[in-house]
Amino acid sequence: MNDPSLTERPPHDEAEELLPWYATGQLDEADRARVDAHLASCAHCRQQLALERRLIDEFQAMSPEVESGWARLKARIDAPAPAAPVFAPPHRPARANAFAEMWALLSRPAVAGLAMAQLAFVLIAGSLLFSLSRPSYRALGSAPPPAAANVIVMFRADATIDDVRHTLKAAGASIVDGPTPTDAYLLHVAPTQRGASLARLQSDHNVQLAQPIDGGRS
Amino acid sequence: MSWSGILKRPQAEEARPAATDERELLARIAQGELAAFERLYRLYQPRLTRFLTTLLKRPQLIEEVLDDTMMVVWQTAGNFRGSSKPSTWVFAIAYRKAAKAKARWPDPLEEPEFDNRVSEDPLPDEELHQDRLRGALLKAMDQLSADHRAVVDLTYFHGLGYREIAEIVGCPVDTVKTRMFHARRRLRQAMTGSLMDWL
Repeated sequence: MNDPSLTERPPHDEAEELLPWYATGQLDEADRARVDAHLASCAHCRQQLALERRLIDEFQAMSPEVESGWARLKARIDAPAPAAPVFAPPHRPARANAFAEMWALLSRPAVAGLAMAQLAFVLIAGSLLFSLSRPSYRALGSAPPPAAANVIVMFRADATIDDVRHTLKAAGASIVDGPTPTDAYLLHVAPTQRGASLARLQSDHNVQLAQPIDGGRS
Repeated sequence: MSWSGILKRPQAEEARPAATDERELLARIAQGELAAFERLYRLYQPRLTRFLTTLLKRPQLIEEVLDDTMMVVWQTAGNFRGSSKPSTWVFAIAYRKAAKAKARWPDPLEEPEFDNRVSEDPLPDEELHQDRLRGALLKAMDQLSADHRAVVDLTYFHGLGYREIAEIVGCPVDTVKTRMFHARRRLRQAMTGSLMDWL
């Protein structure tokens, strides 16, 4: 009886493999009878079954699409107050994320009123990225970004804000939106210069990935 | 003694319309009936969005792959022969489209933002625990390959059987079982790790 041949799996292994579908009620009669029989004598598998049911509950309650959207929105709300060290947030390890924080701060709803607007103005005038064709008030408003993005880019995690600025300038690119949950940025480059700008971005050592996002659909 | 009495089916399964309705919709779509296609789209959009969100780490790709998938359904509904369930057919198209998109745009190396979302807020204990547990599970999922994530999502969320999943992802049933076995080990570790932190 306890003589599993090389081609036959031990009942325990077989039952353990089937537990998820046992738990979701997706086994056929024969499979289910086998698992039932095994569960009656295996405390380990009964315990695993309880965990399976917990996992199912969690996955049913979880919605990655909401998580990803919420994380992005929450980052805006959690953006540090103006006095906080915007450029070195303690919980963001990579320097590229300091840039993300700043973007989040800039695109935050204008709840902080004038102080917020002043800060944004200083940041924009002092250091950033926005071309004149993309007026700064958009960053403080709630309107969705214009659909002018034609390139997506991911910067290396260790790229500094200066690096990012130089890279964008050299490529003639402006930021339309971002960071996405994967820390990518949507850029606009002049359509006529897109090939050259892309090549420039792709060869830049601060850029992890740069791809066109208009056209080229399969 | 049967243990299945204590089990519950995933909610998604309960809320799902009968496969026969969907077959009828596909037949009407094959005749070019746009209203039938719209109905099928509304049925599948949330499920496919969830599935594609699990598969694709680039949010920008999800809409594109979803649209591409549904365009294939619209254009080739006449090819659906009914040997499988309509959902299997549609999900298999989505899986192939997602695989193509991933080939063009490999997953980013950086962790998605929700990996870092262990909250420091003064949440009530239960909420805090739940938040951490979900965060741990999401992180564990994120560290799995897309093939493993697909099997997990199709099993736990979409409530599909292993044979149907094998058809969707185009691999032997034993591979589905093995992937699930591996994935569960990781998820259980994450879950118990989170529980241990809590204790």
